[in-house]
Amino acid sequence: MVAEGALAAGCRFFAGYPITPASEIYEVMMRELPAQGGLALSAPDEISSLCYCVGASLRGLKAMTATSGPGWALMIETLQYALMTETPLVVALVQRLGPSTGGATQGAQGDVWLSEFSTSGGYTVPVFAPSTAAECYAVALEAFHWAERLRTPVVLLSDKEVGMTSEVVEDESLPRPTQVTRPRFAGGRAYLPYGFASPEEVPAFAPVGGDVKVTVTGSAHDQQGRLRKNSPEVLEVLRHLERKIAAHADEMARVRPDLDPGARTLLLSYGVTARAARQAVAARRAEGARLSFLQPLTLFPVPRRELDWALAEVDTVLVAEENLTGQYRAALAPYLGKRRVVGINKIGGLISPSEIIRAVRAAEA
Amino acid sequence: MAEKPSLYLAPEAALPYCRGCGHALVVRHLSQALERLKLPPRSVVLATDIGCVGLADSLFPYLHTVHTTHGRSTAFATGMALAEAVLEPTGLKPVVMIGDGGAMIGLLHLVHAAQLNVDITVLVHNNFLFGMTGGQHSAFTPEGFVTATTPAGNWTPPLDLVTLLGAARAGFLARQYATDAALAEVIADAIAYPGFALVEVFELCTAYGTRWNRLTGSSLKELVAQQGLEMGRRSTRPERPAFLDLYRQQQAGREKKAPAAEVPPLTTRAALDRELRLVVAGSAGERVQSAASLFCRAALAAGLYVTEKNDNPVTQGTGFSLAEICLSPRPIEYTGLESPDVVIVASADGWKELAANGTFDRCRAGTLLVLDEDLLEKFPAAARLGGRRLPLPLRGRATPAGAALAGLAAWLALDPVLPAAAWESALAALPEERRAPLQQALRLGRELAESAPATPS
Repeated sequence: MVAEGALAAGCRFFAGYPITPASEIYEVMMRELPAQGGLALSAPDEISSLCYCVGASLRGLKAMTATSGPGWALMIETLQYALMTETPLVVALVQRLGPSTGGATQGAQGDVWLSEFSTSGGYTVPVFAPSTAAECYAVALEAFHWAERLRTPVVLLSDKEVGMTSEVVEDESLPRPTQVTRPRFAGGRAYLPYGFASPEEVPAFAPVGGDVKVTVTGSAHDQQGRLRKNSPEVLEVLRHLERKIAAHADEMARVRPDLDPGARTLLLSYGVTARAARQAVAARRAEGARLSFLQPLTLFPVPRRELDWALAEVDTVLVAEENLTGQYRAALAPYLGKRRVVGINKIGGLISPSEIIRAVRAAEA
Repeated sequence: MAEKPSLYLAPEAALPYCRGCGHALVVRHLSQALERLKLPPRSVVLATDIGCVGLADSLFPYLHTVHTTHGRSTAFATGMALAEAVLEPTGLKPVVMIGDGGAMIGLLHLVHAAQLNVDITVLVHNNFLFGMTGGQHSAFTPEGFVTATTPAGNWTPPLDLVTLLGAARAGFLARQYATDAALAEVIADAIAYPGFALVEVFELCTAYGTRWNRLTGSSLKELVAQQGLEMGRRSTRPERPAFLDLYRQQQAGREKKAPAAEVPPLTTRAALDRELRLVVAGSAGERVQSAASLFCRAALAAGLYVTEKNDNPVTQGTGFSLAEICLSPRPIEYTGLESPDVVIVASADGWKELAANGTFDRCRAGTLLVLDEDLLEKFPAAARLGGRRLPLPLRGRATPAGAALAGLAAWLALDPVLPAAAWESALAALPEERRAPLQQALRLGRELAESAPATPS
């Protein structure tokens, strides 16, 4: 459904390299993209996959690749290049058990930090995390929307359990695709490849190969794309890379809230674990407990406004995720105030509803 | 005398290279090559990356320029060239300028671009070392050559890039000196070539190469000859179709794919009013996951929500194969098997995996275990498991390849969670030639159920 969503969003270029559990996206794109007039290609490694995507995106095509942790590790230098050059693209990162080769056929949610905190300089990369097949489709549309709208790489952070489980999807549950494309340079003035009217907005795009001379560089640059060191203009361009994301964080926030206004406890989960969490919430409520639930689909930028709403009456927060160190819990910590924060963490298998129920009961006791 | 302004290259004074550096010669030859071809500046993109040669992008103010990451400019250029297959063709000519360091770290990009025969031209500026970072050696450094990292002389042989890319079926390969009068012509021919073209240019690094080695223009030629590297045009295969031509042929020959047949929904809905979780386990290659998928489609036809997830060893074709399935009249959240309602085991491989992954430990008194009857003998522990057991001659009667499906059919005959017509609906979505063996396994499974004891023990 990630591939279906990408096709519906207008993706016309895909380069892939086999890796479980992301190979199905690769195979679907190889099969379906040519029929839609696009190009899907097998790359000789993951570095090439993402470089090919950047090259195609520089020519104006919506581009995507799909990988898992080990392949993502190889892509990070190129991801940073896309970030610096404001090149839109989507990487579907289907998590599996790490570290290293880890468990190819075992699910995990251990690449949250690796997806978000992988750029030197520490810039925000939008990250979306689906929990169901239908959400994979919806989030793929979002990923392309924001990649294009903000000229940025976007990570679609799925996992083996979401990516390789077949399930029934009702057509009517799928959002209608909209085609958003990066703003194009309309002419009428000299073209500044990295020029912006305000730091919150993105430069107009002109494709490599078009009538307007384009200068692209991954080095620190001014608005013309000239390599410069710490000039005020260069620093302004660098600050803009973060400000354009921060300024649209509220618009980018997608959450599935299920709040009980009287509850003092908030359970928060994302990706596949949100499924077990929803079941646990229903079971606890059937027992008479008051419990709120929040599932962020946008992991980064952290949906602050929605989080604040969910936290308003709450003194205990539980975060359920399939990793040992509580990666998203740690990322949320600055926004949770003095509330008690409890992690529900595990590796090597799905966190079950009863494990979550036990943790919630213990926290409430 | 005033310099004639070039359509391509910045004025001579702007060249940032050390006195005597070969890079300056190559950029001049490139500019002459573009003039020779009369290419409009906007139809060329220069891809450069890290290294002194990477400064070239700022020297061609009218071309598109893309300054990339170390050694990767070949791959970025390949992506730009591939996009021609999707866009209205513009005839864009990507020209990649890398050094020997970039060619080393980006070797696979060169190999793949050559295999694809994408329309890019790569100029490798080979001065045998990393100049920008202080003169360290590369994979292209000759034997005996002194660099910052081989102070006693390099002791590994240099890579013969042209021969290597010949093995990758590159269409156009040449090896020249930066001082060759013919270099502009060779570069022009490389750019004009409609597929992958690479020109390796030997040159001097006057900051390090000539400082640490007795190296002059003429001794460079001796050095190259000592290394057994042949000069000149090495491979031109005009007959090799370029990527775009091949791709268009492929696209034209692509058959319109018939849409996948749909599973016709039934008017009779399943009577299931609760969630039901089952696991089907057997051996790889014995159609366990196919049986599970058929069952899931049957459940879908009967109006149920279904999830299915499969597992097998990484080798795919040996060992166990299993599928975990949830059925529900309502959307399914958790897809794991906290406690299975039904376990179907078609072989010893399946049994061992369920024992190893803890499925048997999670069986309750109400769990129904449908298993091949031989397993009771092979695994005496089976008799002590919680839940009810229904041993059937699945493998003996329905063959190993039909055992899993027969097990599912037997269970459904005893506990009709789905209407019988649901199987027919699921089969209708399959090509006709695949249906007969499945129908046979389903029939045998139902027969086994009829002769089974009324209450499983």
